[in-house]
Amino acid sequence: MELQGEQRINASRDEVWRALNDPRVLAKCVPGCEEIRRISDTEMEARLLAKIGPVRAHFSGRIVMHDVVPPESCRIAFQGSGGAAGMATGESKVTLTAADGGTRLNYTVQAAVGGKLGQIGGRLINASARKMADEFFQALNEQLAPDAAPASVPPASVAASSPSAAPSRRLPAVAAGVPSAPSATGPVWASEFQRILWLVIGTGVGWIACRAFSL
Amino acid sequence: MKAPAFSYLRADTLAHASALLREHGDAARLLAGGQTLLATLNMRLSKPQLLIDIGRLEALRGIELRDGFLRIGAGVRHVDIERSAVVAQHLPLLTQAAPHVAHAAIRNRGTLGGSIAFADPAAEWPACALAADAELILGDGARERRVMAGDFFIDLYETDLRPHEVLIALEFPLPGPARRFAFAELARRHGDYAIVGIALAADVTGGVLSDLRIAFFGMGNTPMRALGAETCLAGSAADAATMSRAVDSLDEDMRPDADLHSSAAAKRHLASVLLRRAVHDILQPEPVR
Repeated sequence: MELQGEQRINASRDEVWRALNDPRVLAKCVPGCEEIRRISDTEMEARLLAKIGPVRAHFSGRIVMHDVVPPESCRIAFQGSGGAAGMATGESKVTLTAADGGTRLNYTVQAAVGGKLGQIGGRLINASARKMADEFFQALNEQLAPDAAPASVPPASVAASSPSAAPSRRLPAVAAGVPSAPSATGPVWASEFQRILWLVIGTGVGWIACRAFSL
Repeated sequence: MKAPAFSYLRADTLAHASALLREHGDAARLLAGGQTLLATLNMRLSKPQLLIDIGRLEALRGIELRDGFLRIGAGVRHVDIERSAVVAQHLPLLTQAAPHVAHAAIRNRGTLGGSIAFADPAAEWPACALAADAELILGDGARERRVMAGDFFIDLYETDLRPHEVLIALEFPLPGPARRFAFAELARRHGDYAIVGIALAADVTGGVLSDLRIAFFGMGNTPMRALGAETCLAGSAADAATMSRAVDSLDEDMRPDADLHSSAAAKRHLASVLLRRAVHDILQPEPVR
């Protein structure tokens, strides 16, 4: 089986690289992942429940990274066994390139699937693998995109934002869009503007709260 | 191999089945014809703790004409559709497709609802439901809701069916006098899941096609309509130039994944062969009913 794909992730190359090397992030993003443990700098062990149509198979496997060039590329060799369901071995190459404000991630996977999963699943292996890859990158994007924001969000705003949840949720989206602005003065102006905005909102909310309680 | 140990309960009513689903969640599976589920269990690819038998639910039975609709219960077996005179007369698409559903032994036990709810991307019934614009009736014994086939299939083995719901029946709008159907599929051996298949519905008036619904299966994660080809062929008599434009449009609409046996390019080629065949068939003068 061969699979290749490209994903855009709204975070810097360093952040994506760090996330891909962090078992905690991976555990949240790998579909059906139950556990990921780091054994050494380049080796991890994982246990996951693969849900593909009628199949519910526990896989446990080992992931070894080599040819590591941070934060650009690496090769990932994996080997997994699913008991009666079968086994899978393969290799994947991941390349990260910076692309307008985010990161472009290219991956290729070559894998061999054996046992019953290969026999009856052969027809759908590619589609299933692609679906799992899509789910993984979507989850990764969701993990990373909100984290991209705090750099441009003044910490002072946190206290003021607590009374109303809606603006605090909207803010990261605004801030995430800021770094992609080509003008050098843009981000500075925007973060200053936000600081003032939050000051105004904070004062306003405080004032309303005082009024409400005194009545 | 034999199945792992599981508990078995027979549901008396729809509400009972739904209550059991709510109680046991992902650990329970509905058992209808069992032609996919039991094979999966026997190969130990899945270990549900409970099977809920819905084989005796009255609500899922019967093939009947209601005003403007042909209603087929989800529990109706493939063989009953294959042999039904009512289906042959009013919705011949299903009669044409039925012999392609696996083998006779499987058709004797497997059900329409099982195939639709399981939503295998290469199965015949989901594509037929899409081409014939069927409406699906889902319920939990207390509430019923209706979903068009076009909205039901979401992704690979993923449907709009909620965890506690049961597929009750399919309602197919009765076709008008000009409506014609064609069905074709290519499989490695007869009875295998199709590599690629097509279900086609269109009005044919004086050799001209209109109101087409072209549903392919095996070409993606769900059955899917070839909207570009539908637009190309509408209002035409499918002359060579139009046909080749319709075939070209398939590349825009469908990006099939390769599998262990067929490359993506092979699948695209087979889809174009099937489209030509199905359009040719649908334009043949119809035998007198």
